[in-house]
Amino acid sequence: MLEKPDPKNLLETARALLLERLLPALPESARLEARMVASAMAIAARGIGAANSAPEPELAAAIRAGALDDDPGLLPRLRERARERLAVSNPRAL
Amino acid sequence: MHPAEPLMDMGRLAAWLSEAAGAPVVIFTHARLSGGAIQQNIALSVTCGGVAETWVLRTDNAATLAVSLGRGAEFALLQAAHAAGVMVAEPLFGCEDRSVIGAPFFVMRRVSGSAAGHAAAKRAAAMGGDAALAAEHGRQIARIHRIRPPRADLGFLGEPPADATAAFIARMRGRLDEAGTPRPALEYGLRMMERQAPAPLPAVLCHNDFRTGNTMQDAGRITAVLDWEFAAWGDPHEDLGWFTARCWRFGQNHLEAGGIGPMEAFLGGYAAEAGWQPDPGRVRFWQLGATIRWAVIAADQAARHLSGQEPSLELALTGHMVPELEWDVLNQAEALHAGKA
Repeated sequence: MLEKPDPKNLLETARALLLERLLPALPESARLEARMVASAMAIAARGIGAANSAPEPELAAAIRAGALDDDPGLLPRLRERARERLAVSNPRAL
Repeated sequence: MHPAEPLMDMGRLAAWLSEAAGAPVVIFTHARLSGGAIQQNIALSVTCGGVAETWVLRTDNAATLAVSLGRGAEFALLQAAHAAGVMVAEPLFGCEDRSVIGAPFFVMRRVSGSAAGHAAAKRAAAMGGDAALAAEHGRQIARIHRIRPPRADLGFLGEPPADATAAFIARMRGRLDEAGTPRPALEYGLRMMERQAPAPLPAVLCHNDFRTGNTMQDAGRITAVLDWEFAAWGDPHEDLGWFTARCWRFGQNHLEAGGIGPMEAFLGGYAAEAGWQPDPGRVRFWQLGATIRWAVIAADQAARHLSGQEPSLELALTGHMVPELEWDVLNQAEALHAGKA
């Protein structure tokens, strides 16, 4: 058993420190990069333990070939996958 | 500002400029401006024939994107645009001779203003949308579209496509195959474009990166259209879709025209200058194309980071924009399908 706090908790705690304490103390020229670091930490934290479906090369090829043009289940399936990916990359867009 | 690159021989450059200008050019100061992975810009304070002027020298860095045009081509495009009445920095001299500063370069007149996309959208949103600025963008892009093939001076653009939609879809599929990551959502968007493709229009010069953040602005007015390295022959609605796509509204989604103003003002400005009315349905069609293209570019940027050749947190985070773009692609493709059913 790994020691707690777990990686997700560590990332979230470190990110809060970065945003609340360090960011205001940084010169203006470094703030954009500090915010980028905070974004990366948030994505990484959300990614821990997240669903991660296998790539679907056959699906991509079938869509391109037009084989699924009339498949009513296609769009819901694509949305489900997109939702899964957004939940890590940018849940605010949902 | 950063100090200028020490490897550039200013004496050699001044001699070349004097010859090109047909008058003695003296360089007083040179300072590196914003630069990127692709090119660098150097501000030159000079006198030309005794008259004080401010110029910008633009040249390639060693690592250049294979998909973008070189400086010689960009100079020719700027000349064509300037002659067509487009707001651009006036192109002065182009040099293909690598022995002068080590790489091809060109020199243009310096233009005042700022090209920060977020700041422009924020400013416009604070006033409830800037219809005049949106219309001005419409007029500028209409002028660019007056440049039509054949043009011997733009021969590097190749033959115009017989069908811009088919050419676009083939190009995007090629880039997806090259990247190697299967992307069913983007395939879905491309397939929908293929199924709903409008009849081809005669090709015009498309800027292909005409968006908020790529127009220099001063006090809410355009002073220059920037970044011509993706220009190509295509359907005029490609540019209109790129400018108005949700992904280029800088968070001001209600201001459809680039996050700065209403769609009607933008298309109205375009129609007044072009003498014909763009088709709003076709603009929506190319908004889908714009979203797919930006997703493909964003994924490629992350790949540059992942390859280890250019480790960069900015490139890495750009990759995480892809799912949002895919979500947007699915929504737009569905709407396009419903609209035609």
